[in-house]
Amino acid sequence: MPDMTQKCLRRTLLVGLCITGILSLDCNLLNVHLRRVTWHNLRLLSSMSNSFPVECLRENQAFELPQEILSHTQSLKRDLKEAFYEMSIQVFNIFSRYIFESTWKQKHMKEIQIGLHQQVEYLKQCLEEEENENEDMKKMKEDEMKHPGARVPQVSILELWRYFNRIVNFLKEKKYSHCAWEIVQVEIRRCLYYLHKFTALPRRK
Amino acid sequence: TMLSLLGAIALVLVAGTPRVLPSAAGGKNLNSSRNVEINIIDDNFILRWNRNSESMGNMTYSADYQRPGMDNWIKLPGCQYITSTKCSFSSPKLDIYEEIKLRLRAEQGNTSWYEVISFMPFEKAQIGPPDVQLEAEDKAIRVNISPPGTKDSIMWALAGPSFIYSIVIWENSSSIEKMIETDYLRDKIDKLSPETTYCLKVKARLRTPRKVGIYSPVYCINTTAENKLPPPENLEVDVKNQSYVLKWDYAYANVTFQVQWLPAYVRKNPGKHSRNWKQMLDCENVETTQCVFAQNVLPEGVYYVRVQASDGNNTSLWSKEKKFNSDIQTIVLPPVINMKSISDSLRIYIGSPKEAGNKPVNQPYPLSYEIIFWKNASNAERKFLEKKTDFTVPNLQPLTVYCAKARAHLVDGKWNKSSVFSDTVCEKTKPGNTSKSWLIAGICTALFAVLVVIYAVKVLWKGINYVFFPSLKPSSSIDKYVSEQPLKNLLLSTSEEQTEKYFIIENVNTITPVEETDQIDEDHKKYSSQTSEDSGNYSNEDENSGSKTSEELLEQEMV
Repeated sequence: MPDMTQKCLRRTLLVGLCITGILSLDCNLLNVHLRRVTWHNLRLLSSMSNSFPVECLRENQAFELPQEILSHTQSLKRDLKEAFYEMSIQVFNIFSRYIFESTWKQKHMKEIQIGLHQQVEYLKQCLEEEENENEDMKKMKEDEMKHPGARVPQVSILELWRYFNRIVNFLKEKKYSHCAWEIVQVEIRRCLYYLHKFTALPRRK
Repeated sequence: TMLSLLGAIALVLVAGTPRVLPSAAGGKNLNSSRNVEINIIDDNFILRWNRNSESMGNMTYSADYQRPGMDNWIKLPGCQYITSTKCSFSSPKLDIYEEIKLRLRAEQGNTSWYEVISFMPFEKAQIGPPDVQLEAEDKAIRVNISPPGTKDSIMWALAGPSFIYSIVIWENSSSIEKMIETDYLRDKIDKLSPETTYCLKVKARLRTPRKVGIYSPVYCINTTAENKLPPPENLEVDVKNQSYVLKWDYAYANVTFQVQWLPAYVRKNPGKHSRNWKQMLDCENVETTQCVFAQNVLPEGVYYVRVQASDGNNTSLWSKEKKFNSDIQTIVLPPVINMKSISDSLRIYIGSPKEAGNKPVNQPYPLSYEIIFWKNASNAERKFLEKKTDFTVPNLQPLTVYCAKARAHLVDGKWNKSSVFSDTVCEKTKPGNTSKSWLIAGICTALFAVLVVIYAVKVLWKGINYVFFPSLKPSSSIDKYVSEQPLKNLLLSTSEEQTEKYFIIENVNTITPVEETDQIDEDHKKYSSQTSEDSGNYSNEDENSGSKTSEELLEQEMV
């Protein structure tokens, strides 16, 4: 476990360093709302579980959040936004498909689902706004897609799906036990934390 | 041994097989390629190959698969020792996003050959047809789509939420097709004609990675007769005084309305949770085409609302759903404005709004400010639009009172909100012409400079006089010198040592009062040298004392 935390820490530092060089979400007002909602969701998740139960430490698993996406210096701002959009969709998915009433209180379930859905909405609007602004950019990208060199966006979504597949398989394997959910929650909080960090970056055009 | 040798060779060949491209299949083996192909639709895998035309007799085929990083081959159920050239199986327990290897083994008597293909199941998978159910209204059709694959589909577990459904609809009588895209499983196609037969088919597609699914079969349905009461239209949600205001349009009078709401996330939720619309109690049977409900009825989130009209006997169908986000209740607070007069301009500062108790409120929105500026008791207003919070209005009249008030604007995409105006602040500009005062100052400085120059010249002249034209009246000069030097010393410092020196000088003079001029000259020289020494000492001491005090000061500071 200490090894894992060290690894985690190192990875977080690496990502943090890479992030400062990079892009931020640039939807101005939507960004402000997205930031608020992401933070709200983080707090909601944190409040739902008290301290991490010691007995669950044994079952802890490294899901390997794809750092390649988050620190990909070549990726366009749009790819990053799309990655976070997909991430938000998957997190919402986990909390709507795999969650059972026995695990969480009804009230909490609703709250987190509402909050996560709002997050998805803001990211969607952000992407749509950008799409409307950069029609030319889109055409350029579509031309790029024809050439084998630019398969970057497709690869990163697959990486994300692999990552979430690991999480879902873990839940299924452990039969949605309490410990499994605790561990998955911690992982999801990490995801939201990264999203929040990106929304906090100064805007760059 | 023959078999094992063959197997070994096959293994070597397999190891050397390059990764197959998605479209192609097969690797190298002993005999010619059998065109081994895998087709995947949703969770169903179909493996196909060609029979070897050369061989005669019974050939049995078996297929195994191998997961990445493992050494063993796992048998595929339903594909063991079969004689046909195809076999199907549902997705084995594996990671669909990882490359797996499929091995086809053909046996006939003693000979056998292998063929291995490598692929990522998800990449090869095709989206199957969705299931569709229809409900007809008078001018709309409600479409309920069941996503492709089974409920526990592994293939689309993660990609499912990102499916976009393309509905192609046409009137049975005509062949003009219209395509509608939706990402909701339950949607409504409206603006149709009543009592008409419509047919449609649906397919699912993915944006990234690009996948296009197979169309569902065609479904046809008749729209009903026109309803007596049309549904309300043009729903709008606004915020007023801490409440939501829902407005709509309706052509007829003498009807009552009711409102229902639904949290938006429910529509994105595939499955178990109820999709029941909830009644808006504050809007039950309202007679006006608007309804006001408190903000706490719908806390933070995204919602849908819909309205229905009723005249007692008949009810209309539900209106088109209106989506709204609770963030429309965001209000922009008025800023705090301050003015400062600087010579002939006024500097305006715009600060963040303050809540009750003078607490500054953080508004992280991109704001721009509108400032109205006017001379007190006049009607001529000037308007400034600024993004900066600190700017100056120049070239104003001196000793005049000007007033200003400001409000903040939030414009971002579809958003357009403004605050109310801040309080008005007034400030008087500073008096006088700056250029006049500078002139006066300049003259004074010039006069002062002239005085200084005169004084300096005077001193210099005296000095020159003294050096080159010494006076022959010793007493007067001595007196002068005596009178001057101690005065000078007194002026310059008040240390005790100076006064001591003063006495010494006087003694020297009194000791030799009556002497010849030459001696007196010498004495002068001595005297001067002595004094110079003294003065030297004095200056040194002064320096030392000065430095000492500065050292002391430093010490004090450090303490």
